[in-house]
Amino acid sequence: MSAEPLFIVLCSPEHEKVQMAAMLASVAAVSDRPVHLFVSMNALLVFRNGISANERYQGGAMSKLMREKKAPDPITMLKQGKMLGQLTVNACSMALDVTGLGLDDLEAEVFDGQLGLTKYLADAEAGELLFI
Amino acid sequence: MAQRQVIDARGAFCPGPLMELIAALKLANVGEEIEVLSSDHGSIKDIPEWVKKVGHEMVGIDQKDGYAAIIVKKAK
Repeated sequence: MSAEPLFIVLCSPEHEKVQMAAMLASVAAVSDRPVHLFVSMNALLVFRNGISANERYQGGAMSKLMREKKAPDPITMLKQGKMLGQLTVNACSMALDVTGLGLDDLEAEVFDGQLGLTKYLADAEAGELLFI
Repeated sequence: MAQRQVIDARGAFCPGPLMELIAALKLANVGEEIEVLSSDHGSIKDIPEWVKKVGHEMVGIDQKDGYAAIIVKKAK
């Protein structure tokens, strides 16, 4: 029997929170639990392509330590979760509209598409919803 | 007996060793064993839990100096 799907809304651009969201999403996905990640607000800016790691990952003391010690990169973890498990990643349509970004402006091979909040919330009734 | 594949994930942080193990298991044949070397302290609990959840088989854990050798058999 499949586990209850996990729905994760990521709004924070803080490195520590992006890291935790990517860990939760990828580990759950490879553990036979379908995961649906919805990226909105400032978190969307973290996934812009063509920016440096310094610009992408900003946070506090843990962020500094994780980068010094080369903790797994969140984008790499999400790609692994998609490749090895059931993970879908959608960008928030509203956040795309407001920023003027398109899916082509975001890191390749991370996003499956864009979604509105109403549809995401309706889908999330089938599982557990986390907000980061 | 088939040769056991060894993955050296020492120095990788969570969930790196687990992800490397899963990637190797995807490519392995049923019945083959993978030995993952991990210095991440969580791996000795995380990997057996994952193995149990997805239906593979734990062969054993060998605690070495500063790391663990975790052996998993692909069961399906």
